[in-house]
Amino acid sequence: MDGKLEISLDKLPIKRLEVIEENGLERFPPDVGYEEKRESLIRRIDFAWAVEKDDKNNKQKKRSRETSAAQWEFQSMVDNLQLAHQELSVIIDLINTVEANDAVTVASMTRPRPFPNEALSDLAVSAATKLQCFRHLGKYFKQSANALEQQMAREARFYGALIRLQQNWKVKRQRAVALASGNEGFTIDLFDNSLYDPAGIFRPSPLSTVCVDHDSAGMLAINLPPKSYHSLQFGFLSAYTDDMPIDSSKTKTQSACDADKESVSDDECVKETHSLLREVHQAIFSEQVFDLVNREACNQSLGVTVTGIQENYIQLNIGQETSVFISLVPTSQGEETVDSSSTQNLENAILPLDTLDGLNLPEDKPDTPKKKSVIPNQISCEIYLLQIFHQHVFLKAKDRPTSGGGVSGQPAKEGSGLLGHFCMSLAHRIFSNKVLMELENVVRGVPYMQLTSHPTWHSRTSSWTLFVKIPQSILHACQTRASDSHHRKHVTKSQFHTKVVVTDDCINVEGEGAPNVVGLFKGTSQEICSMNRYDCDLADLSVIILQQVASQVIRWLHEEALMVGIKANWDFLCLSFELEQGETLSLVAHVDPEDTEGCISWWLVMEDGFVEERKLSLDISDGASESRKFLGHLSLEVLYSTMMDLVGLCNGGGN
Amino acid sequence: MNRGGGGGGGGAGAGGGSGAGSGPTSAAALAAAKKQKKWLESVETDIANIVDHFSYLVNVSRVNEPPVRNSQEAFMMEMRAARMVQASDSLLKLVSDLKQTALFSGFAYLNDHVEERMAEFDKQAEKTDRMLARIGEEAAASLKELEAHYYSSSVPHTHENYLQQ
Repeated sequence: MDGKLEISLDKLPIKRLEVIEENGLERFPPDVGYEEKRESLIRRIDFAWAVEKDDKNNKQKKRSRETSAAQWEFQSMVDNLQLAHQELSVIIDLINTVEANDAVTVASMTRPRPFPNEALSDLAVSAATKLQCFRHLGKYFKQSANALEQQMAREARFYGALIRLQQNWKVKRQRAVALASGNEGFTIDLFDNSLYDPAGIFRPSPLSTVCVDHDSAGMLAINLPPKSYHSLQFGFLSAYTDDMPIDSSKTKTQSACDADKESVSDDECVKETHSLLREVHQAIFSEQVFDLVNREACNQSLGVTVTGIQENYIQLNIGQETSVFISLVPTSQGEETVDSSSTQNLENAILPLDTLDGLNLPEDKPDTPKKKSVIPNQISCEIYLLQIFHQHVFLKAKDRPTSGGGVSGQPAKEGSGLLGHFCMSLAHRIFSNKVLMELENVVRGVPYMQLTSHPTWHSRTSSWTLFVKIPQSILHACQTRASDSHHRKHVTKSQFHTKVVVTDDCINVEGEGAPNVVGLFKGTSQEICSMNRYDCDLADLSVIILQQVASQVIRWLHEEALMVGIKANWDFLCLSFELEQGETLSLVAHVDPEDTEGCISWWLVMEDGFVEERKLSLDISDGASESRKFLGHLSLEVLYSTMMDLVGLCNGGGN
Repeated sequence: MNRGGGGGGGGAGAGGGSGAGSGPTSAAALAAAKKQKKWLESVETDIANIVDHFSYLVNVSRVNEPPVRNSQEAFMMEMRAARMVQASDSLLKLVSDLKQTALFSGFAYLNDHVEERMAEFDKQAEKTDRMLARIGEEAAASLKELEAHYYSSSVPHTHENYLQQ
């Protein structure tokens, strides 16, 4: 450092008078503390001359540098640093000097003021940094917004679908499941707790609770394991059925809301879920019905004979000839449904006896009708089984009188249970089909007979009516004759009917027929028309029907003969006319259900007092004997004209 | 169809402060009111957080001279942005809770809907029964007519044709 440094110190600590007052009081300046005194002395140190000197030197140097050809860009910084170094050196020397004499402390140091360009560059750097920070924040906000939007969209789809499902299904939430599985824990309860169940028959099925999940798109999804639910299947185990055991209720389903199909809209997804839940609901119902069937089968109810039991399979005997099976078949999703259990059981099934024995089925004639099965349609039986269980068990809590009516409403038979009623209905249906085949055979064999069915809308009752209609030509002739004679009030019957009613396996035949015993005693049997009503079995049905019809025809001929004024006798299948000389001419009906040319044939029999002795020795098969003549299978017109000829013969003999 | 009765949560729409009396209904109403209050507070808190943090972000956009302070502010900005996103997520969860509550509330509406559907299905069942009865009657009439035609035709009566020959 150049130059002399002069330091002036006040060596004599003389108190200088500051103020003298008028009263002579002297005031001295206040005592300055030792510290303050030292500080004030230090402050009196003036470095201005040194700084100015340095500035002059620096300016000279700068001028010299400016004139030089090459300029260093950091030179200013170097100069500033050198100046700062000098100042610091001065201060350090001062401090060392002062410390050498006395301990002092530096109060403060000020930072050198930066140049404007440096300040601006610092500001630019800071601004760029802040901008970068904001951009980073912007990216972060964008990513978060996208994620939140996606989550919101997913939740909107999920809850929208769930609220729509809640319109029809019971939605529950299990918080424990939610915590364990990580999803919301929603479930759909398919168990119907409004069912009337006093005995605790209905237990909640494992399928009753269906978990609601999310698929990859966030949409509601219900995933059921394959073949987890079953459908009820009913079938006949018979070689004569035309219907193979097929699954009528299986539907190909897929897990709802397949996320791979982007074209599936939310509406379609919800509809598919509805369908899937409905199938599961039906599967639960099928399982409950199967459970009830098993219970009733094991209770040995009337009409039910269990011949086989396996898992989800039960085999029953209907009567003695037909077997049925009821099984639970797994319903797979989206796969071909193969009824493996029933086909296996078919192989091991007990084949029934020949159900068509004893029936008159002409096989050689080309116009004979097809041999039809007596087994009813298995799909209709399956529907009926489900319907009766649904109506009489599952709807017990609801109003019975309003739902008990209608086409199919009928109470089950007491003591047999619903399964017994069902089996007896099936047995009746099979039996009534056999009865119908018999009646059709009979009608086919008698040209002037017609058959009319009467639907009873009862599962165990069937009814038919067999009509014999008098041809119009005969009716006109009868009416003309009646108007001419004194029998004006006589009304010729135009038809005769025989009613056949089958209840379960009992056949009841009712129709006008033979005179009753009381009438015979009174001698006016022709005026008393009794209704025959009797039961018969299937084997005798044809014969009884034919006899009934033949007796009706005989009775009609008898009435016509009486109207003409001829005394005739009617004895069941025989109409007798008395000739002179004690001879009797009879028109006799012969019934034969197996006669292919006609079931009712007619004979003319001549009897007198001598002929009866020879009757026993005559060959009955010879139609050309002197006392009887085979007339053949006559129509009503021919019969009527034959009868009129006989009447004429009686009149001619009388004259 | 089952009536709405399952699941948790009471009716949020039941309102608050009806609480006189005892029993599950009043307890449920009190719980609902408490829950509603909690949700409102949560909404207010979250929205206030979002507004505050965003205001800070806007205010801190001024560039200061000391770079140390700028670094400090950068850190604060990141923190506040994260807090904003957290508040938004909280609001979204609140919306989910509201939807879940809506699912398990509103039993009156659900019951009304179930009643309507039951009435509709009962009518449909009656209509189906009537239709079945009508179909049965028509089938019976058709069967009678067909049988009359069949048995009065010449097809089953091959015996007459034989005699006429």
